[in-house]
Amino acid sequence: MNDRPDATELLEIARRTLLDELLPRLPDELRYSTLMIANAMAIASREHAAGDAAASAELARLHELYGEAQQTLAGSALYTVLSSYNRRLGADIRAGRCDGWAGLRDHLAQTTADKLAVADPKVLAR
Amino acid sequence: MTLNTPDTRARIEVFLRAAAGADAVRVTRLERMSGGAIQENWALDATVTGGAWSGAQEWVLRTDATAMVEMSLRRSEEFQVLQVAHAAGLSAPRPLWLCTDPAVTGREFFVMQRLPGVASGHRVTRERALVPDPARLARELAVNLARLHTIKPPQPQLSFLKVTPARGSIAIYREYLDHLPEPHPVLEWALRWCEIHAPQTEEITFIHRDYRTGNYLVHNGQLTGVLDWEFAAFGNPLEDVGWIFAKCWRFAGKHLPAGGIAEPADFLVPYQRASGRTVTAEALVYWQVMAHVRWAIIALQQAQRHLSGKEPSLELALTGRIVAAFEHEILVLTR
Repeated sequence: MNDRPDATELLEIARRTLLDELLPRLPDELRYSTLMIANAMAIASREHAAGDAAASAELARLHELYGEAQQTLAGSALYTVLSSYNRRLGADIRAGRCDGWAGLRDHLAQTTADKLAVADPKVLAR
Repeated sequence: MTLNTPDTRARIEVFLRAAAGADAVRVTRLERMSGGAIQENWALDATVTGGAWSGAQEWVLRTDATAMVEMSLRRSEEFQVLQVAHAAGLSAPRPLWLCTDPAVTGREFFVMQRLPGVASGHRVTRERALVPDPARLARELAVNLARLHTIKPPQPQLSFLKVTPARGSIAIYREYLDHLPEPHPVLEWALRWCEIHAPQTEEITFIHRDYRTGNYLVHNGQLTGVLDWEFAAFGNPLEDVGWIFAKCWRFAGKHLPAGGIAEPADFLVPYQRASGRTVTAEALVYWQVMAHVRWAIIALQQAQRHLSGKEPSLELALTGRIVAAFEHEILVLTR
């Protein structure tokens, strides 16, 4: 196990230093790039802090939608299975096989909300 | 790519001298303008001696950035589009000369008139002083768009333009999704919704396909020119209306549906009057959903340019993470 500060804590202090100490002294033409760097660090920090909880919940919902037995996965296996489930879901939706599926829209909305909580939380707050 | 090397500048000067029918052309400024992940715009100031352009000139040189997105036109095609647009009296920069000789800069480019004004969507939607009368600007945009939509196919000069009615677009977007490495169920869901709700009959006109805040110049509160014609096509005119209304193009003015600058009626009333078309509430929602799907797919393609290693870029990388916001808006719109 690593010593603290952990990845999220390191990214957060690095980002604060970038914005508070470097940005005011950087020329204007570097402002946009600097803000992009700060944004990338914030996303990475939130993603690390959130861990696998959203992905595990997404998989559980997919099992339920398809009426299949729940399996608990972690690490890369979780993401591999999730990706193939989503490929199947995408193909089923396209073919019209999911038309009128109860719970599908809610599932997609939850998945999207979880992604936004990492990528751009202020969209959810609007 | 930088054009601003002594050799390239000299070759551009030779090209301009011939194109402008001048005795001599000296490029006094060549500077990359902001914006444009897909195309590069260079501010080009020149001192021209002799010929019709004699004097100090302010132009823009427009060329491809390193990688292209699949949906966009070549520069030679965009030049033709601008010629047609300009001839039809649309608000657009006047196109001057096209260069297809790769020996000059290594890429196709064209030169156009540089118009005054601010394009930045962030500034136009935030700085009240830039748009003191938002209803007036919305009206100018609407009337100009209605005029743009009077151009109907076939147009002999624009034979290269794709025809993209709603169902055709859905097929193309699905094909693009199939080329991406990861699945996107929300976008599939949106496209299925668009398929089910597709208009039964469609009018087909010339459409701009990127007519939105951030892509037009505002000077003294007025519209001075619509930019970025690289996505032009023949399609449903309401697609352009949905695009400028879509939340993803409102910048700081999220609560102002007409381009983040004005209320819906400020745009729709003059558009309907000038075009004779009715924009129903359903059509407006439909084309906003399509707008978000299309922007989401372009964003995924841009992120892929970074992820493929072809064009490492933080801006392109971050574009991959704006897709969730579009998916959220799609789910809200179709509720």
